[in-house]
Amino acid sequence: MFKTPLSSIEEKIGANFGEFAGWEMPMDYTSYQDEHMAVRQSAAFFDLSHMGRIRIKGKKEELDRIVTRSLSAENFRMIGPSAMLNENGGFIDDVMIYKISDNEFLMVTNAINREKDIKWIKSNSSLEVDDLTFEYVMLAIQGRRVWELLGFKTDLQPLQFVLNTTFLGEEVFLLSRSGWTGEDGLEVWAKAEVAERIINKLIEKRVKPAGLITRDSLRQEMGFVLYEEDIDENTTPVEARYWVFDLDKEFIGKEKVEEQLKDGVKRMRVGFKLQKGVRVIPRHGYKIKIVGAEIGEVTSSTYSPYLGRVIGMGYVNSSNAFFGFHASIDIRGKEYRAKISDFPLI
Amino acid sequence: MGEIKVGKYIILDDRHYTDTDEWVKIEDEVATVGITDYAQKKLRDIVGIELPSVSQEVKAGDPVGTIESVKAASDLYSPLSGTVIEVNEELEASPEIINQDPYGEGWMFKIKIKDKSEAQRLLTPEKYIEKIRGE
Repeated sequence: MFKTPLSSIEEKIGANFGEFAGWEMPMDYTSYQDEHMAVRQSAAFFDLSHMGRIRIKGKKEELDRIVTRSLSAENFRMIGPSAMLNENGGFIDDVMIYKISDNEFLMVTNAINREKDIKWIKSNSSLEVDDLTFEYVMLAIQGRRVWELLGFKTDLQPLQFVLNTTFLGEEVFLLSRSGWTGEDGLEVWAKAEVAERIINKLIEKRVKPAGLITRDSLRQEMGFVLYEEDIDENTTPVEARYWVFDLDKEFIGKEKVEEQLKDGVKRMRVGFKLQKGVRVIPRHGYKIKIVGAEIGEVTSSTYSPYLGRVIGMGYVNSSNAFFGFHASIDIRGKEYRAKISDFPLI
Repeated sequence: MGEIKVGKYIILDDRHYTDTDEWVKIEDEVATVGITDYAQKKLRDIVGIELPSVSQEVKAGDPVGTIESVKAASDLYSPLSGTVIEVNEELEASPEIINQDPYGEGWMFKIKIKDKSEAQRLLTPEKYIEKIRGE
């Protein structure tokens, strides 16, 4: 198992570690509910060093054929979220792409897919790929009061980034205005010893540490997917209603995407909310029903501290995607009312 | 009542334990049941609970409820046979109490014990410490 290089400082500040995608990472510090509310009301930081980070060099045209979003945007913009699809339109991965120049890009992959993605890029192009995952760590600083707590306002626009810059007086490799929580904030790639100093400064500024459980509950409120839970090689962006493609260019899997856009899909991703006060969580694979008939399955769910109710997402037959209607979810043999909802859920 | 610390976990010396991480405090004919500090820390944030019903007859080792944490749903087992005489209803609205005070306010249900000799099969604090050290 890989271990985050930040584990010793995180242990000192109270991290409880757990395994995720082959990495030992901070799962929580105090309680995910407190950490979650810190992001929604104040600010918190996350260690995301488990996420795959690679540098891609070569012809833009070659990468453009592998990823679903057009790479023609100006330099120093994040092209994302984007995806790499197989010929059937299924997700190899959903990724973030940073454009440095017409022949150099950075990519953030899901931790679980890092090696698969590198292999996929190499087998579909002559692009040069360097794995930077173990060279830098990655932190995300996110929250409604993030600028107030950090004590500055960045010049970066959303999805812009800079390389080799300073953050809180420390030299970092990459600083981007991006995140996966639905709140404003930054993501930083830095050497581990630099990141340790940044963590100390963040704590001085009352930015709370938060773990991966919180990251999961935040992304579910926004309706963001998690690879292997909500999307995989057998789900397409159209079924997932994850609009990460540009149809004015060619890419692997485009034919299937266009076919589905024209013909429609059999199933689609929806959100749901259980009634307030119901404290059971439907797990991956639990059945969604309407008047006794099975119409789909849950893919992920959590208790939303912000809404004070259980929320989640899953796939239902497209002809049964009755937004606003109360379906039910079978949780260990008992049916619970669940309102079919669109994203975001907050 | 004394507290025994095993790493980051607390065990109390005035009660019995089960292999499935419940604690049992026996006072005359009544057993109060909850889950241990070890169990609540392993489960992390507890977001929901389903408890047995009052008057329900339970057998030692029976699953009688469910504990929902962000991680998974876990069965809650009855450590002894008997009749449920009281459940901690406060936990249904505020299950986080189990994380905050597993041995006190986080108690789950009380049983009128049917057969006191069953208690001999429960783990002593020392045996329970051995069990969690081995995990």
